[in-house]
Amino acid sequence: MVLSQNVSAVGPLNLYPMGMYPMVHISLMFGISYVLPDFSNESCTLKMTLRNLQSILSWELKNHSIVPTHYTLWYTIMSKQEDMKIVGDCTNITRSFCDLTDVWVNMTETYIPKVVGFRGNAALVSCMGSFFLTMDTLPLDPPEFEIVGFTDHISVNVNFQSVASKIPNEEGLQFYLALIEEQSGGTVKKHKPQINGNVTENFIYVIDKLIPKTNYCVSVYFEPKHPRKIKRSPLKCTLFQPGWKSESSESATIGGIITLFLVAAVVISTVAMLKRIGYICLRNNFPKVLNFYKLSVWVFPELPPLEKVATVEVIHINRKKKVWNYNYDDESDSDNEAAPRKSAGGYTTHGLTGRLWPASVSSVTLEDCSDPAAEERDLPEPEADAEALMAPGPSPWQSECTSRGYQGRGNLLQDPFSEEDSSPTEGSGDRIVFNVDLNSVCVRALEDNDDSEVTPMLPSGPEETVVLEDPDETESNLLLVASGGGAQLPSPGPSAEYPWPEDSPSDKSDTSESDVDMGDGYVMRLMNREIFN
Amino acid sequence: MSAEPDVIRKCMWPVCLMGLFVTGILSLDCNLLNVHLRRVTWQNLSLLRRMSKSFPIECLKESKAFELPQEILSHTQPLTRDIKEAFYEMSRQAFHIFIQDTFKSNWEEKHLRQVQIGLDQQLQYLEQCLEEEEENEDMREVAEDERTQSGTPVPQLSNLELRRYFNRIDRFLKDKKYSHCAWEIVRVEIRRCFYFFHKFTALLRRK
Repeated sequence: MVLSQNVSAVGPLNLYPMGMYPMVHISLMFGISYVLPDFSNESCTLKMTLRNLQSILSWELKNHSIVPTHYTLWYTIMSKQEDMKIVGDCTNITRSFCDLTDVWVNMTETYIPKVVGFRGNAALVSCMGSFFLTMDTLPLDPPEFEIVGFTDHISVNVNFQSVASKIPNEEGLQFYLALIEEQSGGTVKKHKPQINGNVTENFIYVIDKLIPKTNYCVSVYFEPKHPRKIKRSPLKCTLFQPGWKSESSESATIGGIITLFLVAAVVISTVAMLKRIGYICLRNNFPKVLNFYKLSVWVFPELPPLEKVATVEVIHINRKKKVWNYNYDDESDSDNEAAPRKSAGGYTTHGLTGRLWPASVSSVTLEDCSDPAAEERDLPEPEADAEALMAPGPSPWQSECTSRGYQGRGNLLQDPFSEEDSSPTEGSGDRIVFNVDLNSVCVRALEDNDDSEVTPMLPSGPEETVVLEDPDETESNLLLVASGGGAQLPSPGPSAEYPWPEDSPSDKSDTSESDVDMGDGYVMRLMNREIFN
Repeated sequence: MSAEPDVIRKCMWPVCLMGLFVTGILSLDCNLLNVHLRRVTWQNLSLLRRMSKSFPIECLKESKAFELPQEILSHTQPLTRDIKEAFYEMSRQAFHIFIQDTFKSNWEEKHLRQVQIGLDQQLQYLEQCLEEEEENEDMREVAEDERTQSGTPVPQLSNLELRRYFNRIDRFLKDKKYSHCAWEIVRVEIRRCFYFFHKFTALLRRK
């Protein structure tokens, strides 16, 4: 009974001419035992097995009750019409397999084997099949190998001698490529060492650029055409020791530097961004006066220029209240204006009275001195450096008299309203400010008889007290006291009044204005100048 | 009113992707031709092997030697274009054989269809790449003429041999009246041819 089977078998390596490129991985395995499926429904099953690069055809009877004593193998090919050829090494064999490594060498052929089981000379069973060797890529058993870990690499020593003899010819070996498969942390990396020519000795493959303190496992195998049919060798692992301290330290150093650089870059960019948006380092456009960068100015502030000051003693004089009508006209003021009174010295005094303020607002009372015979007025000595201080008051000044053109010695008293040097009065709603150039006026202290209401001043030292008062006034007036020592506001009290210097056209000459001391209290112009300049 | 623009907007993106995809498919990279041929040829081999569970031994007596022209590989320095042309010829002839609707065997039809599709794709791929080569190989034609004059076998001879080979197969089928055994024998033979050309892809890769 002819058993027809169509079984594809994997032939030995030597059966593979050029064109078969089983991939040899050094995950390197050698010798996948490949059992071809049994397509036959006959009495026996033919199997083609590749083991250690040997093509082994084996058979198994389905009916175990029939046990042949020996077997004989024949074969033919499909491409040619040839008769069955007997396999010499597989004639009258008792084993149930046959090594066809050196018989079936043409990969393009489809081989038709025939196995006949005999018992004596009687054929008990016959099996046939077909094997297309090409369809079954060559799974090979992996070769033996060893791995050695060094400080900077792992060396894989592959012993091809165990399989070199099984590699049929150069041609077959040329197309084997070895790959190394690493398993580190679950990562599989394939290496593909180039193997040229016959490999009959050990093959050493070096794996470098490894991560220290990592367990590496190596497996070798030959990769057939069909990627599913691969036989991998058992894994051999080694812990990669950090003998790579230099490189690891270098890598750590480089990593640290890079990390620092990145951190610095991030910080700088953040600061720059914040500064740009104004979140930090806000600009302070302070006024210059608040500019305290000039330390010298801060520490040694510039003192304001000294102002000429004069000590003024304020004498309070109680006078009658007189309503100021703000009419500087002589006629209109005739009612309100105090009539110029004639002093004993012949001066016509005009007085400007001001309201006495508890705030020690000094006011000046000017009297129009038009007394030509005024020469016995006692006029306190003026201060050397005193000058009249006229402070505005919250209430309007009351001008009691206007100074007329004075005559005589040191005609100092002038109409404050007409004096050129005098600045015009300024009047606000509540006050009138008189700016009188004391250089152009004559001040004197009023006598007691002229102004009994006026309490005498309290001169202090070489002070010259100037009293400007109107006897008709009951309003207390503040007398301006020129003091050489500085402006002083005298305490209200008796004050000495000194009349205006009388107009003495003949007694005194102009030339003596400057330094004539009238002796009766009048202050000559010069003295006044000394005072008020 | 706004339904159409919405539809257009919705369909625009898939259409664009499809266009790019189609363009990518149509513009196959000829640099990967050897990879494609190797893969497709091996798939066809597997399909032919699985198409029939076993070769009927009774058909062995009807086997015939179709004389596959193995001398193609005997050329010491076959040109890439020659290999591609041979591949094209082989694919075209095999496709012609398997496209015939005269199967009287119990082959699994899905395998047969897959073989037909694989061969068709292989043909299209080869046509495109060969046209590109023709546009860029004017100088090579000059070189081929010179080589022809030097006595080197004309590359087109391999194609002629291939055509004869497949003609024998086709005639065998006709003679056997497309019997089951004839088809089985043809299947085994073409499988052998496919493997033969599978080795050609290694030559393409080397070049």
